[in-house]
Amino acid sequence: MSRTDRLEPGQAERLLREREKDWRKALRRELPIQKRMAIERQPMPEQEPGVRVRNFKEVNLGYTLELARVEARRCLDCGQPGCVAGCPVAIDIPTFIKYIEAGELEKALEKIRETNGLPAICGRVCPQEVQCEKDCNLVRAGKAPVAIGHLERFVADYLCLREGTGAGISASPEVTRRPEKIAVVGSGPGGLTAAADLARLGYRVTVFEALHLPGGVLAYGIPEFRLPREILQSEINFIKALGVEIKTNFIVGRTASLEDLRQDGYRAFFLGTGAGLPSFMNIPGENLLGVYSANEYLTRVNLMKGFRFPEFDTPVPRARRAAVIGGGNVAMDAVRTALRLGAEQATIFYRRSRAEMPARVEEVKHAEEEGIVFNFLTVPVRFLGNDRGQLQGMVLQRLALGEPDSSGRPRPVPIPGSEFEVEVDLAVVAIGQSPNPLLIKQLPGLKLGRWGNVEVDSQTMATSLPGIYAGGDAVRGGATVILAMGDGRRAARAIDEFLRRE
Amino acid sequence: MNRVVLSERLVPNLYRLVLEAPEVAASARAGQFVMVIPDGRGERIPINLADWDTERGTVDLVFLNLGASTRKLAALKPGEAVEGLAGPLGRAPEIPGPGAVLLAGGCYGIGGLYPLARVLKQAGRRVIFLAEARSPAYLYWEEKIKKYADDILTLFREDCLGSGQDFKELVGGVISKHPDIALVMVMGCSYLLFKFSEATTGSGFKTLVSLNPIMVDGTGMCGACRVSVGGRTYFACVDGPWFEAGDLDWQEYFNRRKAFLSQEEQALARLDREFWKRTE
Repeated sequence: MSRTDRLEPGQAERLLREREKDWRKALRRELPIQKRMAIERQPMPEQEPGVRVRNFKEVNLGYTLELARVEARRCLDCGQPGCVAGCPVAIDIPTFIKYIEAGELEKALEKIRETNGLPAICGRVCPQEVQCEKDCNLVRAGKAPVAIGHLERFVADYLCLREGTGAGISASPEVTRRPEKIAVVGSGPGGLTAAADLARLGYRVTVFEALHLPGGVLAYGIPEFRLPREILQSEINFIKALGVEIKTNFIVGRTASLEDLRQDGYRAFFLGTGAGLPSFMNIPGENLLGVYSANEYLTRVNLMKGFRFPEFDTPVPRARRAAVIGGGNVAMDAVRTALRLGAEQATIFYRRSRAEMPARVEEVKHAEEEGIVFNFLTVPVRFLGNDRGQLQGMVLQRLALGEPDSSGRPRPVPIPGSEFEVEVDLAVVAIGQSPNPLLIKQLPGLKLGRWGNVEVDSQTMATSLPGIYAGGDAVRGGATVILAMGDGRRAARAIDEFLRRE
Repeated sequence: MNRVVLSERLVPNLYRLVLEAPEVAASARAGQFVMVIPDGRGERIPINLADWDTERGTVDLVFLNLGASTRKLAALKPGEAVEGLAGPLGRAPEIPGPGAVLLAGGCYGIGGLYPLARVLKQAGRRVIFLAEARSPAYLYWEEKIKKYADDILTLFREDCLGSGQDFKELVGGVISKHPDIALVMVMGCSYLLFKFSEATTGSGFKTLVSLNPIMVDGTGMCGACRVSVGGRTYFACVDGPWFEAGDLDWQEYFNRRKAFLSQEEQALARLDREFWKRTE
């Protein structure tokens, strides 16, 4: 099967048309493939580990224009680009990279924005190694893949941060205004993408956000050392510039019901309510002082700026020995946050082995450089506290990997008699979240799946209720920013068709 | 923008703010709360709804000036605005009938219980209101409450302490005066909730307490407010704030409320320093 078979209908032809343009042919002629392949992948400039563990500034400093143009030359401009098929929103990756090579940064950004409304964010938080970069043809040739994520980030930063409100705004004024009002519930990556696409189609879109700042998990979950808030703000400004209204402090299901919004004239809905319900382990001692859900710990630090306490009022726990339970990106964020807040030792406890860790490779690498200790194949069985209810330690059990479970990963099996104790004064539970039930449980007839997730048609993101669409973690449980964005995009298209049909 | 329409000190340390929040007022139900962020550097704190006006589009909040956040709120003047206000949050309590309801409030809870008195009376229930305060000088809203209460009783801490009378006996006295009481609902400081829980345990009727644990988002997202009731963990923000008193793990509740005590003092000290700098 050819790699481009995974593309949407028409996409392969569009890619080919772009590739056959004269400027692309000229670029390809300029530097032969052998020379391109001889260039090494350009490393991302970073803050030194010893320095960055004392601040909350971004770890990655970003490519310079020179680095970006060298890296762009590594792209072979293949006839069958695997990268595009690996991207959940099918960005025309070769074209934007070749625009960088040609020095046409505005055009590069415009190309990305055609299918991705949040490039500065995706360039930072997407797991490129299992998406676009995985299928880069350089990998087949035994080379490191083109640093697609770094280049995407470079283009977005280079233009947006300079101009503040986002460059290349294509709120095409010639778009026909449509009278229908659409409500997007939740301002995370799925909601923002749906809102941006619908606004571009001419609809009047309002995004309702329960918290006081927009961004959803991008605002409360992802720390500033991975996603600086001015980057998030610049992407949100771009979406506002498209005409999207964002209403914060508005909890759909409490401040007003979905039915109230319907009465107000909203004709279609996108539920991007996220996976806001933290999972706990239900083991003894979990309510001791010092045991936090990752959601609480990270919300205090990121959304409420607790890392700047007492300048900001929200306190965060400061620990000497911090333990984080889990192996995903949220766990990496929490453990690295604990280190930056002054922990002498910050440790990951994960119940499977390194190979099964769902976190992005770059996050694990950064965590290791920073001195995070990893304990694999261990799981807490109880927390230990003192008479004032404060956490003092935990009892862990060792595990072995058994047969694959329903997720295809080997099931961890407890080893009898392997219990041991560690001293900790902070434990952050980062074992996953499930969809926030606040709104979705209020909608009679809304079909839910096994984990309380909203069931949708995977092509249209339509729920069981007419006019109501859903995407992101509300549908998937804990997934990724880019998958949520892909959902928002598909839902926007389907909402458009739905409203035109009506 | 949630602008301040009115700000007043009700009694020493207890304040009332009337804030513009038309959408919250339109959806508010008795027994719910809102999350308030005083200013751009502020915390999100839960405050009970003490009243609302759907026509004027305002909500009333009554709160104790205790920490940095409430101190900031107490200093607000009409025309100024809070950074954010979201709600209404929490479940409005289900009130099983029939029988009279004893509403027992102390501190901010006197204000917070007022909307319950109103809906209960309007639903035709007999309402007994017990206001607990340090001394008569700390009582407020008696006139407002009188409209919806069949009987108003007071309990002054100085009397309790002086008379050597046991709290349980005092509550027992109230209940024997109104033998048709079928439900007790308590709002106020944790100690009051606990004393009521103790005094009514085993008395055959239900006691609901409005818990006020530390919260961050208030929408069920973080679990800061988890409480153990009957051996199960609940999130007070979405499962509560009303819970059956007898089933609560009180020790854990008291402990968890003190999670950030030293930081709270630090924040207050910092605010004081800033305040003095400004006045110098």
